[in-house]
Amino acid sequence: MGDEELAKDLGLVSAMTIGIGTMIGAGIFVLPGVAANEAGPIVVVSFVVGGIIAMVNAFSVSELGTAMPKAGGGYYYINKSLGPMFGSIAGMGDWMGLAFASAFYCIGFGQYLVSFVPLPEVAFLDPIQVGALFAGLAFVGVNYIGAKETGSVQTVIVTILLSILTVFAVAGFFSFDYGTLTGNGGLTPYGTGAILPATALVFVSFLGYAKIATVAEELKNPGRNLPIAIIGSVALVTVIYAVLVTTMLGVVPWPELSQDAPVAQAAEVAFPASLGPIGGVAAAAGAVMTAGALLATASSANASILASARINFAMGRDKIVTNWLNEIHPNYATPYRSILVTGALIVVFIAALGRDVETLAKAASVLHLIVYALLNVGLIVFREADVPEYDPDFTVPLYPITPILGAVLSLGLVAFMDSIEIALSGAFVVAAVVWYFLYAREKTDRKGVLSEYIQDREAELPDRVVDAADAVAPTGTEGPTIMVALANPRTEGALITLASALAKHEGGRVLATHIVTVPDQTALDTAAENRARIDDSSESLLEAAKEDATAFDVPVETKTILSHRGFEEVFDAARSNDADTVVMGYGGTKLAGGRAESTLDELTHDLPCDFLVLDGETVDISDVLVPTAGGRSSDLSAEVARALRDTADADISLLHAVDEGGEADGEAFLTEWAAERDLGDATIRVESGDIQSVLTRVGGEYSLVVLGATERGLLSRIVRGSPVFDTIESLETPVLLAERPSSRSLWERLVGRGEE
Amino acid sequence: MTSVDAETELLGHVLLPVANEEDALATAHALEPYGPDHVTALHVVEKGEGSPDKTPVEQSEDIAEETYAAVRTVFPDADDHTAYARDVVEAIFDAAEEVDATAVAYRSRGGNRLVQFLSGDYSLKLATEADRPVIALPRQDTADG
Repeated sequence: MGDEELAKDLGLVSAMTIGIGTMIGAGIFVLPGVAANEAGPIVVVSFVVGGIIAMVNAFSVSELGTAMPKAGGGYYYINKSLGPMFGSIAGMGDWMGLAFASAFYCIGFGQYLVSFVPLPEVAFLDPIQVGALFAGLAFVGVNYIGAKETGSVQTVIVTILLSILTVFAVAGFFSFDYGTLTGNGGLTPYGTGAILPATALVFVSFLGYAKIATVAEELKNPGRNLPIAIIGSVALVTVIYAVLVTTMLGVVPWPELSQDAPVAQAAEVAFPASLGPIGGVAAAAGAVMTAGALLATASSANASILASARINFAMGRDKIVTNWLNEIHPNYATPYRSILVTGALIVVFIAALGRDVETLAKAASVLHLIVYALLNVGLIVFREADVPEYDPDFTVPLYPITPILGAVLSLGLVAFMDSIEIALSGAFVVAAVVWYFLYAREKTDRKGVLSEYIQDREAELPDRVVDAADAVAPTGTEGPTIMVALANPRTEGALITLASALAKHEGGRVLATHIVTVPDQTALDTAAENRARIDDSSESLLEAAKEDATAFDVPVETKTILSHRGFEEVFDAARSNDADTVVMGYGGTKLAGGRAESTLDELTHDLPCDFLVLDGETVDISDVLVPTAGGRSSDLSAEVARALRDTADADISLLHAVDEGGEADGEAFLTEWAAERDLGDATIRVESGDIQSVLTRVGGEYSLVVLGATERGLLSRIVRGSPVFDTIESLETPVLLAERPSSRSLWERLVGRGEE
Repeated sequence: MTSVDAETELLGHVLLPVANEEDALATAHALEPYGPDHVTALHVVEKGEGSPDKTPVEQSEDIAEETYAAVRTVFPDADDHTAYARDVVEAIFDAAEEVDATAVAYRSRGGNRLVQFLSGDYSLKLATEADRPVIALPRQDTADG
């Protein structure tokens, strides 16, 4: 909580810098020549149209970003809303889109570099590609090492760029000539039909605002700063583009505008050759513009490489890609593998497509536009599914018009691309879907809001919709993990039997762990040397566990854990193994002996998952008594009872203790409680007296009592001793204590485990 | 026996800055033979302070948890402390102040000069800017000498 605040250190200016720094490099320095050559002076309108499309999407990104300020941006929202298949498409689209964009920025860098330094041709690479490769490798290297100086440099770069461009605009204003602008076939030499194809080309200039969302978790006050930064940076660059492109075209006739280094060329014309006695002003201005262009394209590429690592991380977290990719470098603390893989892609794109800057630009745009379209659909799904926790600070104006418009405009713009880019992007989309079905579907366990929504309304929706949703649903939802913490061979059979019954019922698996407590004085590696001895006892215990579980026909895994801590290690193991339920013996809790109470409270206050603690060495599940007074933990005991009934034919009796005279109410309550929990066939017993005395009286008639904790902290009370548990301990019948942590909402399950 | 007093004093509460799981385990083992009374593991999440971080916050926090778990395999009662800062050394001293540590114990991560320079080896700054004892632990391991 407090820590989280500390992690947020990006203010509004920094956030806008990220957006502007990424966008401005491409639009102004690389494309005006190429785009003007295709559309004539009307290309200014193409830029404005691109800005409008970006703005509509910027609203949607802002809403989603304030609802979920998480690393990953567009991919993350789409995976949460539309599920992992579309998530895979979005992740791939975002990632490849950034790689294409980075390659494009590198080529832009190369174009200006060759005007400074003559570069040779190498093999099949022209000098621009050589410069681009050099740049690409340098940017990857900087990110690999993770020089944090690049970040602060970014702010300086953006400030310098804005100053340079302002000076240029002023100089351009004075040498602006309307005749130059219209002198070659008027404003629309190729007709107005050329506007949208040119927009398709220059849209790459607007691919920066969404990167702000990928670092949303680092923003201070994201509810306010995220929308302002995203919408503000789009508005600002649109205005800058419109003004500067107009200026350039009024200074240099559009057919003559350089295809490679337009800003440097325009600056040389716009500035006077000399200011009074100082000569060479125009040449100097051209050189400054070239330097600016190098900075601008470098910062765009740099920001894109960083953003792609964020997307990889988010995909790894959802198990769409292997987490191998997100390993952190031991010395540089950077996600170096992700950076290297992205770097390799950039190099390939530069080498293969670097002669055609348009293809790189448009491929980047198509992939991003696909992501934007999905993202708008995802927003509508979040709103319509009415997920209560979806609570954005910023909401799009004119819902549902804005997101629908965003999706339509994004896909509409794709139609103006050339077939090669569409084919290329289509190939990546297909690859993403194939990847999902071959790899990710089995691994990921994240269902989208959309599929939850469809499954919840199975009856109301056409079968085809439901079937289609099932057909693409992740299979990684492999049921819960029931972890058994074994300590004592005598209780092994009983614990495994209970765990197996649960696992079988829920379609889950059993993880049998043997936690070997090593005295504090012994280092863990010394203990590991004594492995042979430990292994023997551990192996026979876990072997027995395996056999018992296999008898139930449930998948079982075993694990020996060496630890200095006993009881606490159970919590860690449950967390690190993503256990959904822990089954352990009452004796096991005694491992905690000697620990400071405060530590215990802290542990038991925040259970990582459901806990079932058995008091008893053997278990006979023929007659099961479930006392209840309602509440979260007795929901858990009801689940256990159902599992025992369905897998082991246990007879279930429900018990509710009431005060004298409350029998009728008690029976009504219990009958309803049973029906709601699918236990309508259970025997209903209402007894008067307090629960302790009732249990003492009737407990002996049953073979197992499943008792839910009535309030939090059951475990800590067991460990520290409490009068209620004296009753339990004195009871002959084995008691299974059930405690469920404070509820994890649907939302928490969707967006991953809650904060610790 | 004033020297004994000084020693117990020195190792009364050791702040142990650790970078990752492996480093944490090695550092903790290096400190273990000296028997500190109390240990607080510190992980500094490097922040850009004005620019995006090298790694997502969530990932950094996972790494922090891993390092604490690694330290606790050696010192089960170790406390933990997470700092967020651009200047790692300053964050270490701030944390020492905050948890009232009697000394800071660290273990150089090694590597040649270039790697040390690039990854920001903090030995020099730690040693020169300290406002309390700083203990350089020996690198007794052979694996990554």
